[in-house]
Amino acid sequence: MRRRNITAYGFLAPYLLIFAAFWVWPIIYSFWLSFLFTRRQPWTFNPNTTWGRLVEDPAFWNALKNTLVILVVQVPIMIALATVLAVLLNSTLLRARGLMRFAFFAPVVVGEVAYAAVFRLIFSEDLGFVNKALAAIGLPEVAWFSSPTAAMALIIMAVTWRWAGYNAIIILSGLQSIPDDVYEAATLDRVSPVRQFFFITLPLLKPVILFCVVLSVIGTMQLFAEPFLITNEGGPGSATETLGLFLYLQGFRVLNFGYASAVAYTIAALAVLISLLNMWAGRERA
Amino acid sequence: MAELTLRAVRKSYGTVDIIHGVDLDIADGEFVVFVGPSGCGKSTLLRMIAGLEDITSGEISIGGRVVNDVEAAERGIAMVFQTYALYPHMTVRENLSFGLRMNGNPRADTDRRVARAAEILRIDALMDRRPKALSGGQRQRVAIGRAIVREPEVFLFDEPLSNLDAELRVQMRVEISRLHSELGTTMIYVTHDQTEAMTLADRIVVLRAGRVEQVGRPLELYGNPTNQFVAGFIGSPRMNFLAAETIGTIGGGTRFRLVNQGGAVIVLPLDRPPAPGEAAVIGIRPEHVAPAGAGDCDLPLTLDVAEHLGSTSYLYANTQAGEPVVVQAAASDGARAGERIAVSIPAAQALAFDAQGERLR
Repeated sequence: MRRRNITAYGFLAPYLLIFAAFWVWPIIYSFWLSFLFTRRQPWTFNPNTTWGRLVEDPAFWNALKNTLVILVVQVPIMIALATVLAVLLNSTLLRARGLMRFAFFAPVVVGEVAYAAVFRLIFSEDLGFVNKALAAIGLPEVAWFSSPTAAMALIIMAVTWRWAGYNAIIILSGLQSIPDDVYEAATLDRVSPVRQFFFITLPLLKPVILFCVVLSVIGTMQLFAEPFLITNEGGPGSATETLGLFLYLQGFRVLNFGYASAVAYTIAALAVLISLLNMWAGRERA
Repeated sequence: MAELTLRAVRKSYGTVDIIHGVDLDIADGEFVVFVGPSGCGKSTLLRMIAGLEDITSGEISIGGRVVNDVEAAERGIAMVFQTYALYPHMTVRENLSFGLRMNGNPRADTDRRVARAAEILRIDALMDRRPKALSGGQRQRVAIGRAIVREPEVFLFDEPLSNLDAELRVQMRVEISRLHSELGTTMIYVTHDQTEAMTLADRIVVLRAGRVEQVGRPLELYGNPTNQFVAGFIGSPRMNFLAAETIGTIGGGTRFRLVNQGGAVIVLPLDRPPAPGEAAVIGIRPEHVAPAGAGDCDLPLTLDVAEHLGSTSYLYANTQAGEPVVVQAAASDGARAGERIAVSIPAAQALAFDAQGERLR
């Protein structure tokens, strides 16, 4: 090996060692773990208790169903909202643009526990602002934490609130890369602003939106903090229990590491699969 | 087809005036070129005609209709942008037909117009490609095609060739010229390249700092510029300017002493001679500088650089006082740097300007 290569690897070594010890090794080890029966010492090779159980465990299927419902409902709503938001944030008519952009980005910066606490307060069934507001305009109050559907809606709203601005900023960068003169040409082509949005802006934003969708799919597949903190560990019952939460409960409540590892690998595989599907569906056609 | 009129058109951004009142009449079918250095307001003026920029005051009419408050889309103009501004996600065919499709134009008519534009611009073979698979010249053809399919009354070109390489520029220049004679539509063309202006225009509008300096046919501007700016801007290499001082009149002529030429004197026939002692500038184009003895005022020069282009040579020389003079000479490979040469200025080709740059006649 050449001298300068040795020096370079010398500088990289501390990082590579830590990466190997705390990243690569756990990934490999947890894969091995997913084939072990870990309820009793000594751990024994028995995939039936992990991968086998996965297939027939109604709790797993419930968590998977909840996760997919959130994915299918929340991601499209949030991306649509983020796109509209990005267009608004890009508007020359908007005052204090820098401040607005920061404001919509800010939820990502706020700690999860803090924002979860605020959501719990706002949606509190007796004292919360939302139910008070609903009552004020004559609508029935909603049992946000005791109705399965309402709890699911609450999770979806919370996640959307937290990540819409973040995605909007990414989409905004895509918007800004579309040259003005393309719109001027369209204006001279007598294309209305609304049609310009649908026939020029959206198609040109497709790669950026696809990127946001893939990020959001990965994020939602791992969704943990909101059901854990806002709806009391996936409540009511296990109506908002997600795969991430199910994994946590199996691994760190029940201490069934083998089974939790199998769940973890399933989550990762599903995230990759859905992302690939997205990229295939949104591929550039010749 | 339409004629176009600008009356006292102004543009300011806040307190900064960009266009200082432009008056211009453009005849139906005319090819007019706006030329001027960067920042002279030529593109802004074009965009004001297009309706992409508001005008601060004045009046613009196209085909007899005042369009100040008419949307860009309704002005009957089509524009070709410097950066082409093609829709990147559409094929050439879709780019050409997009505007028509969006406005519910009948399919058969759209296809006919697209096919005709493709034929005129010889881009038939490219119809299913996307812009990124096209060369610069091809993209510019598509951009022009998109303008053609609109069948506009006025074509506007905003520096359409400045992103192309030199050879392609010459080729596209010829094509645009051919396009104008084929379509016979009014065209307004913005460029900073005086060669493009000279070769394409029926009439040239020379702009400087938001003001029209002169409007005229190319050879009129070349032979009879109204001021030193136009004289210097039109023609390549640019006109030589020699500092001078008015001495007095003799016969029907005015005598000027070339102050940096060691007392050389030239006599020009002027109707209104400036007062003796007044500063002036004598202009002579490189191609009009004559061999020693053949003109009316001999100048000794020291050669700095000689460019031999084959058919002609450009000699970059200096007077004794270091004033640069460019001489276009017949092909000769004799001249070398540092050599002393002698040339002469024919009075009939020389122009005089006052200290403010206005032409003395």
